Amino acid sequence: MATVQVSEAEKVYILHGIRDDLRVDGRGCEDYRHMEIETDVVSNTDGSAKVSLGHTAVLVGIKAEIGKPRPMAPNEGYLEFFVDCSANATPEFEGRGGEELGKELSNTLYKVFNNKHSVDLKKLCISKGEHCWVLYVDVLLLQCDGNLYDAMSVAIKAALFSTKIPKVHISNDEEGGKEIELSDDPFDCMRLDVENVPCIVTLCKVGHRHVVDATLQEKACSVASLIISVTHKGTVTCVRKMGGGSLDPESIFEMTETGKRVGKALHVPLMKLLQQEESLGTRQKVGFLG
Amino acid sequence: MAADMRLPNIRKLVSLSLSAGDRRDLVVPGDVITSDSGFMRGHGTYVDEEKLTASVAGEVQRVDKLICVRPLKTRFNGEVGDVVVGRITEVQQKRWKVETNSRLDSILLLSSVNLPGGELRRRSAEDELTMREYLLEGDLISAEVQSVFSDGALSLHTRSLKYGKLGQGVLVQISPSLIKRQKTHFHNLPCGASIILGNNGFVWLYPTPGQQDEEAGGFYTSLEPISLSDREVISRLRNCLLALSAHKVLVFDTSVLYCYESSLQHQVKDILKPEVMEEIVMLTQQKLIEQEG
Amino acid sequence: MSSFRCFVLCGNMAGLELLSDQGYRLDGRKASELRKVQARMGVFAQADGSAYLEQGNTKALAVVYGPHEMRGSRSRTLHDRAVINCQYSMATFSMSERKRRPHGDRKSTEMSLHLKQTFEAAVMTQLYPRSQIDIYVKILQSDGGNYSVCVNAATLAVIDAGIPMLDYVCASTVGFVDETPLADLCYAEESGGVSSLALALLPRGGQIALLQMDARLHQDNLEALMDAAMTACKGVSKVLDQVVRQHLQEASLATGD
Repeated sequence: MATVQVSEAEKVYILHGIRDDLRVDGRGCEDYRHMEIETDVVSNTDGSAKVSLGHTAVLVGIKAEIGKPRPMAPNEGYLEFFVDCSANATPEFEGRGGEELGKELSNTLYKVFNNKHSVDLKKLCISKGEHCWVLYVDVLLLQCDGNLYDAMSVAIKAALFSTKIPKVHISNDEEGGKEIELSDDPFDCMRLDVENVPCIVTLCKVGHRHVVDATLQEKACSVASLIISVTHKGTVTCVRKMGGGSLDPESIFEMTETGKRVGKALHVPLMKLLQQEESLGTRQKVGFLG
Repeated sequence: MAADMRLPNIRKLVSLSLSAGDRRDLVVPGDVITSDSGFMRGHGTYVDEEKLTASVAGEVQRVDKLICVRPLKTRFNGEVGDVVVGRITEVQQKRWKVETNSRLDSILLLSSVNLPGGELRRRSAEDELTMREYLLEGDLISAEVQSVFSDGALSLHTRSLKYGKLGQGVLVQISPSLIKRQKTHFHNLPCGASIILGNNGFVWLYPTPGQQDEEAGGFYTSLEPISLSDREVISRLRNCLLALSAHKVLVFDTSVLYCYESSLQHQVKDILKPEVMEEIVMLTQQKLIEQEG
Repeated sequence: MSSFRCFVLCGNMAGLELLSDQGYRLDGRKASELRKVQARMGVFAQADGSAYLEQGNTKALAVVYGPHEMRGSRSRTLHDRAVINCQYSMATFSMSERKRRPHGDRKSTEMSLHLKQTFEAAVMTQLYPRSQIDIYVKILQSDGGNYSVCVNAATLAVIDAGIPMLDYVCASTVGFVDETPLADLCYAEESGGVSSLALALLPRGGQIALLQMDARLHQDNLEALMDAAMTACKGVSKVLDQVVRQHLQEASLATGD
């Protein structure tokens, strides 16, 4: 993790500010920073999205490939996650420096998103036990300014929304084998239903209170944080405690309640934005030129 | 709870107007500034086949016979007498290493600080052992550049009551080239907070202190809670500084104050929204022009 | 002559005609025409310098950190100049086939080394003894000429960081087909068996910072190919020049001085 140094006095200042519900940048404890979202930014993928949250920036690319279903779930496809903590984000990640964090992040994302409650995995099956779609979700970390999980989950949801998987036609050839034919027509494609895809809310315990969307400085003052994945209905699908410190059960309960409320509220503007962008049609993409 | 989500805006291209398109004082690497051999070569230039050539993209500045090119954005190029704000990165024998956004870490010698007790006394071996009691890794200090070593590293000193360890407040990092050089870089702003504009682009915002505690020699920091109204002023100033820096406006006490005044109709947390930033920076620039003209 | 026949064979094998009888290439460009270049400086606030550049469908992000104190092993410190440290990597989704690792394979390591050599020739490292300058480049979308696009993007990032350079470094990848040099190859041409040459140039002085060619080519054709490469690089440098000047003016309009 990109780390920043914070002196004792600065910590006290941040701590007291959070106690008074006025953070260093003027936000309240449950406010997010300004977020910008754009989908379909990389054309070599089947779906992609770029999200910036404060100075944190992530790019998600999804590639659909045909693979073999897992033996435990022969009629389901699956998702694979890979998080590339690139040196672009911070020189600490150079060489193998980002690998450990990348593994931790991708494992958590796998747990949160790869289940039938989030994505309709049955829809990804092509022929039972033989072929299915595998969605390779690759997250590229471009800038690191705290709250990676929330930014990544929003980007993944947006990228899944924009993913277009070509329709397949299965025909039997003479020898009884199956032949898979991909549709060439770019409009003849399958879209995923992202309604149930959760968003992750990270709550950082700072002093006696907790904040959402912590900056790196605030994160440095926090002993432990809780990540909660919440669907649009407010259902909690995953809870994880992160960080070295400990939390007492009471505060975990409080934080889950906040997470539920904040997470639920996060979906509304996100879906509205995605649909708005879709309705604009093929407008000129801003990408990195903006 | 508030989450502001939106699509990115397409950047408005500033059309290169004829007057601006022909500005001679803006150069890019490789541009020949002059082939007259009577000039002296300053920062950001080199001599190629007897022609004075730019090596960075920026604005040409001439002081008598000396020609420099000032890039828009760069690391801090410290000179003797500059005020800096820095962070201790390492405690070594007889010296601290300080991060000041320079190309090498700066150095604060044990002999260049005022130790508690006031008067200049010899630094004993005991002082070396208790260096961490004065300044720890992560601590922020304000200091002045005392000298520049041959490899370009800066040597700092805090031998004045106005320098020393910084207490509660907020650090904002902006590009050193946006800090305007002034007589004093310490200001008590009338809006109710104080500011140290480090030449190295580190700006320190802190509540205006009541009376100076002279006995402590600058190593005592109060950890008493700061009032909510002071906090709001500091947060607003912080966001204003970021807005000024995003639009590359020179930062000095007047521009900060005008920006603060322009931002008052907005909530503190809204200042960082792109359209609000643009609006208040524009208002600030208008006020600055009015004041000049 | 033998080499000429060799690539005609390759071209035929791929079933593509790289240069039509009318003199048009696969993507409709003329032989010496460059792809459209779009770029932006100062993409990220946290780095000392950053730039994004796209050349046709190849897109790259370059980020510069430094010059700063040496990190990690101090043994690499140079006492008379700065160390330039480069890392080239490709996003796992950058190609039509998914890549398993973003960096660390042989091709990326080689590319990092080439970038380092290129920028050591251009950056005035002697001004920063005992420091380190990091240049990280990421290919977001790959469609041929990756090395050149990286160099061009990194040049803008270095300028954005305010690090002194002798001149721009511009690079271009050129190929040779039907006795004709093709400028700024795209992926289909690169993989279609063209003997390609990558060249990085300091355009004003005409100094070559890097020259690389690993295909067979008749010696007599080398000069024509080099000339085409230099012309292409100069073309790129004009575009970069516009980007930098535009960036300078936007910023200095705001400063108002």
